[in-house]
Amino acid sequence: MNETAMSVGWHQSRRGRGHRHKEQGRANREQVVEQKAEDSVPHGTCMTMCPAYELRQREAQNRLHRFEMVAGTERDRLPSADVSRAVKEYSRPAAGKDSTRASDLRPPSVLLKTVCHLVDEIAASSTSQPWTEVYSFVFDRLRSVRQDMIIQRVSGPDCVAVLEKSVRFLLYASYRLCGQQLQYFDPRINDTHLQECLSWLLESYRDGKHQHQEEFQALSLLYNLGSSQANTHVLELPERIRSSPAVQLALAVSRAHMERNPVRLLRLAQRLDFIQVCAVHRHLLPCRTDLLLLYSHGHSSRNCRYPLQRLARLLFLKDALAVQLCQVCGVNVTEEWVNFSKSSFTDTPSGDLQCRRMHEPLDDERWNCSAGSVIHGCV
Amino acid sequence: MLQLSSPEEKCQQLLEPPYDEMVAAHLRCTFAVSNHDFVEAYKCQTVVVQSFLKAFQAHKEENWALPIMFAATLDLRIFANNAEQQLQSKGKGKVGDMLEKAAEQLMSCFRVCASDNRAGIDDSKKWGMLFLINQLFKIYFKINKLHLCKPLIRAIDSSNLKDDYSTAQRVTYKYYVGRKAMFDSDFKQAEEYLAFSFTHCHRSCQRNKRLILIYLLPVKMLLGHMPTHQLLKKYDLMQFADVTKAVSEGNLLLLNEALVKHETFFIRCGIFLILEKLKIITYRNLFKKVYHLLKTHQLPLDAFLVALKMMKVEDVDIDEVQCILANLIYMGHIKGYISHQHQKLVVSKQNPFPPLSSVS
Repeated sequence: MNETAMSVGWHQSRRGRGHRHKEQGRANREQVVEQKAEDSVPHGTCMTMCPAYELRQREAQNRLHRFEMVAGTERDRLPSADVSRAVKEYSRPAAGKDSTRASDLRPPSVLLKTVCHLVDEIAASSTSQPWTEVYSFVFDRLRSVRQDMIIQRVSGPDCVAVLEKSVRFLLYASYRLCGQQLQYFDPRINDTHLQECLSWLLESYRDGKHQHQEEFQALSLLYNLGSSQANTHVLELPERIRSSPAVQLALAVSRAHMERNPVRLLRLAQRLDFIQVCAVHRHLLPCRTDLLLLYSHGHSSRNCRYPLQRLARLLFLKDALAVQLCQVCGVNVTEEWVNFSKSSFTDTPSGDLQCRRMHEPLDDERWNCSAGSVIHGCV
Repeated sequence: MLQLSSPEEKCQQLLEPPYDEMVAAHLRCTFAVSNHDFVEAYKCQTVVVQSFLKAFQAHKEENWALPIMFAATLDLRIFANNAEQQLQSKGKGKVGDMLEKAAEQLMSCFRVCASDNRAGIDDSKKWGMLFLINQLFKIYFKINKLHLCKPLIRAIDSSNLKDDYSTAQRVTYKYYVGRKAMFDSDFKQAEEYLAFSFTHCHRSCQRNKRLILIYLLPVKMLLGHMPTHQLLKKYDLMQFADVTKAVSEGNLLLLNEALVKHETFFIRCGIFLILEKLKIITYRNLFKKVYHLLKTHQLPLDAFLVALKMMKVEDVDIDEVQCILANLIYMGHIKGYISHQHQKLVVSKQNPFPPLSSVS
């Protein structure tokens, strides 16, 4: 008789192991990896950050990036390439183009050194260039690093280290460049790459022990706040990892989100460290407007008033910003008081209140100092 | 002596294509199975299905081969499962790969069935659709790609045969669409589907009835209907007993304890997150008790704080109490408003705590 497979394999339910993110990642990876037999995986032999051939070609065609030029030659008709700073750029795989030449591929140790260079010398140094330029360069070069890893099917500690730094960089960037014009920073593109890195990283964590796993499981949950798949994934983690402080805090934030308790959520968010704030920040503005929505209904009464200062404290905003947020959401504010009314709250905010306005104010110098330690993870 | 490793020649002598290929592959498959080589068995089975499909497509206005299709596709899925398990135990193979490929094959079969517009109803291949859909559901749930269920659901919804398939097939179908509705937080629909599945599931299939209940119970609880102790005992689902008791009494402490105690079970079944949604119902029940105790429609917020503290909910203050109340009001569980100045919850004099089943 037909034995139903419900009984056969159902205990192996693999819900929520970040499959949604994996989907995108897998599709991208499969585009890059050409149809090679299992035993002919390329092994790179290029020991410099940029393959010699590409370096000569780009120098001759004046396609070097500012960060790759010998200092002082930037304004020349044909700037010189600085071998110690040139980094292989990302190139789209194409028919007829062989991306598997060993001399063009960098082995894992070189890839890790490349990433450290990108972080220390470019992302974290106080260059005179605007950080949007820094982001654009590092983003592209990191993508090329990942491409080399995919082609060579790299796995193991070097792969994990590269991915961890990539994730931190992309999270940091999503916070620092939040609100920038689309041409300089597209949050959706950043998100796509972040999700790809995260799902690859979380998949890598399944084998062996990894020093920073707790941190990144927590970051993944915070970044994907509200996703039941991300939640289920964390719930299925081994006890040791789930009970770590980082994951516990992330779970608490997630629970507050699921229970729709923005007061609690915003309070818990104060306990997050910098990189965790970077991960969760895009969910905070919707959380604040949700608070106003709930209070508009819960405190809806013509005669009652709510103290503005108290509301601002609940929202963890300065008074002036709280007022602006109320106005944008249709909540009536007069001087010191807020009058909630369920009919006046508006879902489609008038005017524009950017998430960026609610970040902690940090001037450029301080941004640059923290970048290195944040991305390397030794805060 | 039917377990041969290379039966092609013999088959070609005796049978016409594509049956020769199909039978040869089937024989190779039985050989592989006897050697417990499920990876090989799966590969053979794909050939069986592919060659069968060639023959099936050539059957114009006939559907006598449907039982063969059912058997072949079922085996395909089961071998894919087994093969993946074998590879996993050796540390190889990407999880879900083989099942996805099996799903693609099933979809090919599905398309052949669904596009059979010529034959009369008795000879139509469309009678094969629901079986295949159920197989596909099982795969999609296993590999966690629930969004792929949608086009299949649409196909059945628009079919005029949908109420005429066998009860067994419909029970399975409703089970999966019920679970999908739960995943989409559409609890009213989920209840409808799962309840159908439960009542129509044959009483001898205790294991299946239990499976359906595992999903039906949380949905019913969210809608305010608690299961009886007898029901839980009958189907060996006592894990829900403490949860039920906690929710109906408004006992948050017991609820948290119950969720932790049976965490592994709930997570494995994929219902842990939904059971957490019962917290809001538990708050509602707790606060309703406070209302009945104080017998006034102007309730001091402090009373709720005291009630929560009695439930050992320690790290909650008056602001959080207000937030929880605001949420309950927003969701329609409480009719009233909060006056911060008077530190009171003012509730409607009429039916301030509407019955759970009437609230969305």
